[in-house]
Amino acid sequence: MKQILILTSLFIAFSSFGQKTSNILLKNGFLHVGNGETIESALIGIKDGKIELIKNSLAYTYTASEWDTVIDLKGQHVYPGFVAPNSTLGITEIDAVRATRDYDEVGLFNPHVRSQIAFNVESKVISTVRTNGVLISQATPRGGIISGTSAIMKLDGWNWEDATISPNDGIHLNWPSSISGGGWWAEPAPKSKNKDYDKQKDRISNFFEMASAYANTTKNEKKEARLEAMRACFNGDKRVYIHADELQQLLDAIEFAKHFKLKSPVIVGGYDAHLITAQLVDAEIPVMIVRPHSLPENEEDDIDLPYKLASLLQKGGVSFCIQNQGDMEAMNARNIPFLAGTAKAYGLTEEEAIRAVSLSSCEILGIDAKYGSVEKGKSATLFVSKGNALDMRTNNVTLSLIDGKFVNLENSQSILYKKYSKKYQ
Amino acid sequence: MKKILLIAVLLTKFCAFSQIIPNNGAIESTPAYFALKNARIVVSPSETIENATLLIKDSKIISVGKLTRIPKDAVIIDCKGKTILPAFIELNSDIGLPKIKRGEYTGRQQYESNKKGAYHWNESIHPEINANAIYSGDAKSNKELVEKGFGFALTHQKNGISRGQGAFVSLTDGKESLLTIEDLNSFYSFQKGASRQSYPSSQMGAIALLRQSFYDADWYKANSENKNVSFDNLLQQLNGNKFFETSDKFEIIRANKIAEEFNLKFTYFGSGNEYEILDQISSVNSTIILPINFPKPYDVENPYISRQIPLSDLKHWEMAPMNPMLLKHKGVNICITSTDHKTSEDFWSHLRAAIKHGLTESEALEALTTMPAITIGAEEIVGTLEAGKLASFIVYDKNPFIESAQMMESWMVGKQTIHKTSPNTNLAGEYNLSINNHKFPFEIKKKGPKFSGELTYEFTDEEKGVSDTTAKLLIINNDLDVTLQFNIHSAELDGSITLQGKANSSFGVFEGEGMLPNGEWVKWAAIKTKKTDAEKSEAATLIMADTNNRSWLPNMAYGFDSIPETTALVIKNATLWTNEEIGILNNATVVVKEGKIVYAGSGKYKIPKGSKIIDAKGKHITSGIIDEHSHIAISKGVNEGGQAISAEVRIGDVVNPDDINIYRQLSGGVTTAQLLHGSANPVGGQSALIKLKWGHTADEMIVDRADGFIKFALGENVKQSRSSNSIRFPQTRMGVEQLYYDGFLRAREYEKEWSAYRLNTKLSKPRKDLELETLVEILQGKRFVTCHSYVQSEINMLMHVADSMGFNINTFTHILEGYKVADKMVKHGVGGSTFSDWWAYKYEVNDAIPYNAAIMSKQGVVVAINSDDAEMGRRLNQEAAKGIKYGGMTEIEAWKMVTLNPAKLLHIDDQMGSLKEGKDADIVIWSDNPLSINAKVEYTIVDGQILYSQEKNAELRKRNQQEKARIISKMLADETPKLEKKRFIKKKKGHFHCNTLGEELSTEENHH
Repeated sequence: MKQILILTSLFIAFSSFGQKTSNILLKNGFLHVGNGETIESALIGIKDGKIELIKNSLAYTYTASEWDTVIDLKGQHVYPGFVAPNSTLGITEIDAVRATRDYDEVGLFNPHVRSQIAFNVESKVISTVRTNGVLISQATPRGGIISGTSAIMKLDGWNWEDATISPNDGIHLNWPSSISGGGWWAEPAPKSKNKDYDKQKDRISNFFEMASAYANTTKNEKKEARLEAMRACFNGDKRVYIHADELQQLLDAIEFAKHFKLKSPVIVGGYDAHLITAQLVDAEIPVMIVRPHSLPENEEDDIDLPYKLASLLQKGGVSFCIQNQGDMEAMNARNIPFLAGTAKAYGLTEEEAIRAVSLSSCEILGIDAKYGSVEKGKSATLFVSKGNALDMRTNNVTLSLIDGKFVNLENSQSILYKKYSKKYQ
Repeated sequence: MKKILLIAVLLTKFCAFSQIIPNNGAIESTPAYFALKNARIVVSPSETIENATLLIKDSKIISVGKLTRIPKDAVIIDCKGKTILPAFIELNSDIGLPKIKRGEYTGRQQYESNKKGAYHWNESIHPEINANAIYSGDAKSNKELVEKGFGFALTHQKNGISRGQGAFVSLTDGKESLLTIEDLNSFYSFQKGASRQSYPSSQMGAIALLRQSFYDADWYKANSENKNVSFDNLLQQLNGNKFFETSDKFEIIRANKIAEEFNLKFTYFGSGNEYEILDQISSVNSTIILPINFPKPYDVENPYISRQIPLSDLKHWEMAPMNPMLLKHKGVNICITSTDHKTSEDFWSHLRAAIKHGLTESEALEALTTMPAITIGAEEIVGTLEAGKLASFIVYDKNPFIESAQMMESWMVGKQTIHKTSPNTNLAGEYNLSINNHKFPFEIKKKGPKFSGELTYEFTDEEKGVSDTTAKLLIINNDLDVTLQFNIHSAELDGSITLQGKANSSFGVFEGEGMLPNGEWVKWAAIKTKKTDAEKSEAATLIMADTNNRSWLPNMAYGFDSIPETTALVIKNATLWTNEEIGILNNATVVVKEGKIVYAGSGKYKIPKGSKIIDAKGKHITSGIIDEHSHIAISKGVNEGGQAISAEVRIGDVVNPDDINIYRQLSGGVTTAQLLHGSANPVGGQSALIKLKWGHTADEMIVDRADGFIKFALGENVKQSRSSNSIRFPQTRMGVEQLYYDGFLRAREYEKEWSAYRLNTKLSKPRKDLELETLVEILQGKRFVTCHSYVQSEINMLMHVADSMGFNINTFTHILEGYKVADKMVKHGVGGSTFSDWWAYKYEVNDAIPYNAAIMSKQGVVVAINSDDAEMGRRLNQEAAKGIKYGGMTEIEAWKMVTLNPAKLLHIDDQMGSLKEGKDADIVIWSDNPLSINAKVEYTIVDGQILYSQEKNAELRKRNQQEKARIISKMLADETPKLEKKRFIKKKKGHFHCNTLGEELSTEENHH
């Protein structure tokens, strides 16, 4: 048995990915389970990548011989691995270099286009994201009306195959805007009603009618890739992520989901969702909220609306999680813990905020049986931070596990840091 | 006094050309005199004569008055009950001039002018365009304008920045319509128009180009050995009347600064929102020509859509019709233009709206007649109906300023046109119809251009007995000729009845003949019993907005009702982050007086008289955040990318105080921001340092006591690497270096020439070059460089360029590879203003690391964290905190990166950046440690004014909502949406033709 003190440098020894894991016991850390609960001094036992033991260390004596690695986390915090839903992380590298962008395909209806196979596990950007506690992402295509099919990925692996959690988790439907115009932040222009809104909605309905008819039988006369990709949307195996923000869009999206009896619709964005919490609760539609670090849409909106949207939905009883689509979203995925931190400052409790980037995200993505919280029977996908992980002032990840395997806490940036720190010695 | 010549005046006959041009046959016969008698004649804004006579001969008015003697050979026109108005003068017109076509976009940048000849180098400066030479008249447009009541127009080609000379025309067809006035009228704007030349691409570029052109014109006076047609014209025009077209209230202020610089005076074409900055506009002291195409009401019936309408638009909708009144009553000289009104109905309904909103009838008339006449120096020939002036006037059936009136006749320089009354009559109302002793009440409603109605009659049912029932009334009218048709089934009459007749709408009577179901031909009449609501509301009642006719500051969401006072403040019991040697103080106090900090510490202090005391127990107090790199609050372009060096442009020219992001940044504790030019070119434009003084004017925001800065840029953006067809030099980092050398060598030569001249003013005066002058300032250490930079090679290069040219780079901004060359930066003495953790957005940030700030700082570089982003700008405290996470900075060090360090980089650390006696009272009260994710701003104080507080914010938010609800309900109640519909359908006028109704309504027999 090895007794190990937490020193980042020591972990480098462990951290080459793929190394066979041993039975690990994490003791005395402050555990944020992810489901809202905490254990002030926890024992977390991990075998074969799974959490086998969760106990209060003050009330439970563990058998030392059972564990070949015991790590004392006294004074540190343990969190479930955070999630980056609805992200281009891994399917883009340098935003301005077209050659590195793999998220936007030609065509309006592309449900058959899949992000899983374009996911670059070795992305340098990913290496800087997981070192802040974000360990799972939903690689999500963009563009068109149906952008494509997303995949849920672990942020470490040898290739996309072993990094995959869910290969075809859902399609992404971009709801048309009910408004046109508006300019941009520096030169706002008057908005007006989108005259083609109804036409654009009909186009989506027509497509879904066709796809739903196709899905009624498996003995289709003519097999077609696009409609095949839609099939699972109607039996619930694939989620339908509807990207919508404005009130009108949201109401229509709810109606749409009802009309087509979609099993697991999800709203992505939901800027106005706080106005219709009751409808969302009734319809049992969860929301991946608009990036909290964004500007209000309208001049007279509450200046802190994006900050407090999470808390407004929490109060309204809506199931929600935080995502961060927007400018530089891939590299910004490493700031997801702080998005939760801001949501906390503006109304969520600490544990609600943690849930909003862990268990809630996994529930909405449909992977909560295995991921999202540090509970017995779940995958050991978690991280340890010296201080509060939701605050940039104190976020300092010292240990990270994905499926019970240690994650390298070095990245291209920390390597350059060390290199140039030497220059000035 | 201005002397006015009119060719026609010099000749006895109608016009000069009718004598010059050979006539085919005997000359056209015209009466010697016309006398319009018994009219209500509005002679001028100050004189109206009832029952008067207007006597005209040829093109001129001979006399006007009650006792006018009418010559025997005069043709007399009886105008009893009619109103005669002087013809209006339209100053904002391009009537009769060729339309400008924009050249095709080639996808390539165009750096040189495509105009051949000795003209200005920039295609948007073309003073040589002379409307007199290209005016060709346009009967259709003339007619449109005449129908609105105009008789004259000052016409010019609305294209470009220096647009050329206008022509004054009467709205008559033929060559004689071009009038001569002695004044030369020229036109300007900030819009480059049809030019495809790359420069200017921004408003600040347009401003710089115009200023440079004025300087060049002056220089040309003494250096005209090479002739330049553009400057010859411009020089002449600068002595005449100058009109400046604006598209926003602030453009008037901006153009006026140019006017002051060159000792000029512009008359402005306004944009309609001038009332929002009334004090500033009135201090410009210029005549403003106002559009009155007031905003249409929004369709607010769908609440989902109406939520999205910005409050500022709603407020503007409500207040825009007051614009003429508010300006006029503030003492501003105004003219009114009919521009953007397609129909006369539109124009007049807006004019009446302005009157209902407080402009008096005579003020309106003045703005359409005498004021435009004076503005162009034509007041001796046009503008009133006084003897000696041109006989251009309109005869209306009623006073059009008060109610919808028919134009009966228009007289253009003595030439009469009789107008057919347009089918615009309002038949709506309740009537009693009598046919053959039968009486039927009916009602007519107006639906768009059409009328529909319902007639009530007694219906006898065998079972139920007698009851009232209704029949649909089909109404077809051509103005006053009316056909009514309906089917009834009463005891006496059963079947279809068709009535034809004429309406007299002023008496509310119809009469005519019709056919009964049995084929009997009978007389009928209908008398109006009740007016419609619309008719009643025509009566002029003054309308006030519910805001005391004052706009908020600024006139949008979160605008102030009035500017918060600069009070003395005592903020006590707080934790003070002083940024001074004493560090962080617990249980301490800050005292503010007259906008300055007078005490900051934990000892004894004096409480100034009338102080507001804020107990900040448990709170943290810091000096305001300073954002070294921001692009908020800038109008119409942050980049002048039309040239590789654009040192002549100034962000300070285009500061926009109405940007909501100013308020949003205040809520994040930002009090000062450096507004930078973009990074499109190696030498960008001059920066502006502003305090985020929400509610104040741009000039009040700009900190002018600070040193001047300029933005430079390196790397991918200046190489235009994202554009596949760019042809601009430089395309490589190699070219960037040489571009700097070229610029600075030229600047040196320029300075040499000027210093020689200063020593010996007998030498010819060198040309003033705004671009080179700015570069000279840099060389002389009078202006400081903030340079956008990423990779170490280019950072190193620019320091070498500066070293070899004898100046210092002040700040590298972005500087994401600064950590690689921190030692060299310290040696050069340059600071770094960087991002906390941005990377991966472009190739040149591949080696960016979040530890950059910490490494540079550790090596002794003054490091700031900036936003470059309106969103991040409001949580720079969080970004500073990342310095602790990445590289282990202390909290105090990290905090200084958004306060004291940017103050040092901007040379304002003697005034801002810390809590120290004597410094500006730019103070933030935080709910928590400002570096904590939990920290929220409770107060932001700028120069001693509380410009943001959580409490005030909640109040403003509530007020925004109430205001929005109030205006939306007003909009819902507004009649105008229905009018809109009417106008829309009116396009189908042609469908009115119906063979049952002829067009016999002869105007002649109707009028005299």
